[in-house]
Amino acid sequence: MTDRLTCLLCPIGCELEVEAGGGDVRVRGHQCDKGIDFASEEVLRPKRNLTTSVPLKGTVDRMVSVRLSDRVPREMIFPILAEITTLRPSAPVRRGDVLIADVCGTGVDVIATRTVASSG
Amino acid sequence: MEDRKTDDLFDVAVIGGGVVGCAVLRELSRYRLRPVLLEKCFDLGEGVSKGNSGVIHAGFNVRTGSLKARANIAGLKAIYDLAAGLHVPYRKTGKLVVAPDEEGRRHLEELKAQGDRNGTPGLEIVNAEAIRKFEPAVRGKWALYSPWTGIISPYEFTIALAESARRNGAEVRLGRNVTAAESKPDRFVLSTSSGPVSARWVINCAGLWADEVAGMAGSADFRVYPYKGEYLILDKAAGDILRMPIYPVPPRDESSLGIHLTPTMEGPVLLGPSGEYVDDKNDARSTRPVMDMLKAEAFRMVPALGRFPVIHAYTGLRPKIDGPGETGGPADFVVAESDRRPRWVNFGGIESPGLTAAPALAEMVVEIIGTKEALSSKDGFEPGLPDLPRFARLDDGARAARAAADPDWGEMVCRCEHVTRAEVRTAVRNPFGANSLDAIKRRTRCGMGRCQGGFCTPRIVEILQAEGLKPEDITKRGGLSRLVFGRIKP
Amino acid sequence: MTVFGMGKHGNVGVKTQGFATPLERLRDVDVAVIGGGPAGLAAALGASRAGAEVVILERGKRLGGILNQCIHDGFGLALYKESISGPEYAERLMDDVGREGIRVETGAMVLDLSADKILRVNSRSGYSLVRAKSVVLAMGCRERTRDMIEIPGDRPAGVWTAGTAQNLVNLQNLRLGNEIVILGSGDIGLIMARRLTFEGMKVKGVFEILPWVGGLERNVRQCLSDFSIPLELTTTVVDICGRDRLSSVVVSRVDEALKPLAGTEREIPCDTLLLSVGLIPENELSKRAGVELSPATGGAVVDEMFMTSVPGVFSCGNVLQIHDVADWASFEGFVAGKNAALHARGEIPTRGTIVRITPGAGVRYALPQIVRRSAAGVDLHFRVTAPRRNVWIEARGSASGTIFFRRKFPRLLPSELQKIKLTTAIDEDLEVAAHD
Repeated sequence: MTDRLTCLLCPIGCELEVEAGGGDVRVRGHQCDKGIDFASEEVLRPKRNLTTSVPLKGTVDRMVSVRLSDRVPREMIFPILAEITTLRPSAPVRRGDVLIADVCGTGVDVIATRTVASSG
Repeated sequence: MEDRKTDDLFDVAVIGGGVVGCAVLRELSRYRLRPVLLEKCFDLGEGVSKGNSGVIHAGFNVRTGSLKARANIAGLKAIYDLAAGLHVPYRKTGKLVVAPDEEGRRHLEELKAQGDRNGTPGLEIVNAEAIRKFEPAVRGKWALYSPWTGIISPYEFTIALAESARRNGAEVRLGRNVTAAESKPDRFVLSTSSGPVSARWVINCAGLWADEVAGMAGSADFRVYPYKGEYLILDKAAGDILRMPIYPVPPRDESSLGIHLTPTMEGPVLLGPSGEYVDDKNDARSTRPVMDMLKAEAFRMVPALGRFPVIHAYTGLRPKIDGPGETGGPADFVVAESDRRPRWVNFGGIESPGLTAAPALAEMVVEIIGTKEALSSKDGFEPGLPDLPRFARLDDGARAARAAADPDWGEMVCRCEHVTRAEVRTAVRNPFGANSLDAIKRRTRCGMGRCQGGFCTPRIVEILQAEGLKPEDITKRGGLSRLVFGRIKP
Repeated sequence: MTVFGMGKHGNVGVKTQGFATPLERLRDVDVAVIGGGPAGLAAALGASRAGAEVVILERGKRLGGILNQCIHDGFGLALYKESISGPEYAERLMDDVGREGIRVETGAMVLDLSADKILRVNSRSGYSLVRAKSVVLAMGCRERTRDMIEIPGDRPAGVWTAGTAQNLVNLQNLRLGNEIVILGSGDIGLIMARRLTFEGMKVKGVFEILPWVGGLERNVRQCLSDFSIPLELTTTVVDICGRDRLSSVVVSRVDEALKPLAGTEREIPCDTLLLSVGLIPENELSKRAGVELSPATGGAVVDEMFMTSVPGVFSCGNVLQIHDVADWASFEGFVAGKNAALHARGEIPTRGTIVRITPGAGVRYALPQIVRRSAAGVDLHFRVTAPRRNVWIEARGSASGTIFFRRKFPRLLPSELQKIKLTTAIDEDLEVAAHD
């Protein structure tokens, strides 16, 4: 089976042709070796980061944006979003603060992506 | 929301908050009367009064001897001083009606003769050279030049009239749709969406709905046929090459003034309107073929305008009382007390030049009431309004002084039209409680610029919440036009 | 001034005595950077590191510009060699700005810029004038609107540009609606499709009038394909329906001239329409200063120093040309800022003899448009007019036919800004073209 996909690792976006079968993955069209790893992963078990924002505790409109410390299997996106929905960090928050450790048992953390002072 | 004292008896109820209704209300506020204005929309000027060209007409397009002509000339004499006193921006620009050929010139001569008879001051037929001198971008062989024509923001004028009336004791109620009228010996009882309102006199200024409102009192003497006009607005840079309204020779049937180009106070140039009878009095849709046609027609007269982008489109409906296919020329304005229902006054067919004529039409109401009862002037009538300065029009010194005195004058909310938080705050706190995005737009120009609200809308949404509104109560134009559906994460 | 009918009462209620006039508050600075986004922050750093006294004038309440609402990841791959979010990217630059001790004014909007580099600035701390030896334009861009693409129909609530919607959702926690249609496949539109899906809104489709996608391919896969959001090319919105709130849009396929094809209309019920239909460099201030603009980019005509036609006024980031990647806006900023510092010290020679770089077949634009004669090592940006495979890009001397650059690219997209280096000294006008 041949799959066409675009490498997402950098803005070049190499168009890869991936043949997967019998546990073997063959890749064409990559400009660097990272493309092979990417294609194998993307075909066999795609991973994604995810980003969203949540209000600070006690507010509805002072937002702190968050992401994952590393990519997770794509099917974990919605379970993790459900976890994050009720997250209400207390100010102050610093960029990089771990807001949920080992979210959904994935081994990655939900971290703050912006710094928010105690007030203002 | 129920009105507090529903059994109150007003002397006069004005139905409709367009320019005529607001002018009538202000005129009544000169006298020892208790007037109220009922408007079904959530701001003033939401109907016919916002969907026009904003031109102060000098009175040569209307038939000699008609009420249109009399009211136009009388309104023209009053409106510039009135606007100045109310601090509504206007400019006496002059106007050119441009003909491409000799056939057109003959028509211009007829227009000039009609204007001279009507009392229009200073009309002149000018040649191509003079046209180039007035407006270098305009193409034409002959033109009728009218020095007294001008431009004004029709909705700012309408709002100012209402504010002036309110300052002098009149009441204004928005969101009050009149659904029925009961005629009692000494009063009319109007059913509204928020309870009954009683008044000894009713002045029907309901514009497009004037026939239906008249029908409620059993005095349906005319029918309103909505006549749709689409407009496009060009970027304000277009204002640099056009100083005065440019009209074509009007069509022979006098159904309209033709598709014209009108500069506005802040620079954007209006193209339009088209003209088409429609069935729906709410039809405010822009359509592709008309948009294309407007550009083609307008750019024929002023080709240089073709390089400016369209920043907005809008549509107005004119309340014609002569239906499609009727002959005998355009109907005259109707301003009359009903034969069947004394103390009930109908305004019908107030299309162009209704904006200019409004101050004069308002005086006719006083005359009508005055024939039935003695009216006495109120002491201390205040004709003017305080000036609300616009940051964009202030010089460096005035800007610095204001920002130093109040930091809200230092916070820019609109990047295109240079509007500050202080101006938005004042607009939100207007005396009528109109707090939709459009209401703020009409009072401040936030959202009228190139980016069409891309920058200011999130900021205004924040300010409205700071002023006490819940996000789900923020609307584009009141009613069901809510902007957002509340919080994502409560 | 013309008669406004307000004249003589212009200042009712405020006494001007007792306050500093703007001229008393005229401040002198080496380099004024207008805008504190990815380009402006980098420009300030570039200028400060080159020894200039710098002020950043940012109209937002916080530095970072549009990065603050771009909470998605994918930033920093070129500058920091890792994928971080917009706010993190901004804060890293802000940390450096803090370390450099650069003066920052937030909530400060520049309202006017003159050719002699006097800026009029308004902020909650006052209205003031700034006189700069050099100015870096880094104002970014604005979004094309419904009216600019002239979509007919009603004018209900619920029609947004994608960036404005992004602000409301990411920074104000506001729910736009329940059923969303997106017109335009620019990056912001694609990213918003995923974002709204995450927050429980149903994205019913993304429609693109062109036969190709406007945004990056990785965004198509990660933002649409991952969530089975339909993408339809050569399709546009031809009608907007709903008196108060949007109730539906009508989409139609288009022909090769991008005109709607009669008979292909389809009504899609929805309460929200997002428009991601292009960005426009925001050059209102540049025009005030008399900066020459390029119709092809919408930004300033610049030389290899990123200097505009007005001496001492430099331009970088999205106000110069629309970037697909923020890092590149920053790279431009570093260079423009450094050159602004050099100019402030009088260390940039006047242009002297120049050569011009113009776009040829298949190339939409090339930038810089002007190069000092004999300049070497010039970074040349270009965009192609349509997607191309196995295409040769050639920079050829217009007079001699000499090839200054020639390389085969496996694939080029109009959405992707390309950068190449012209190593040899350029001593004649060049034309940059794409050939099969």
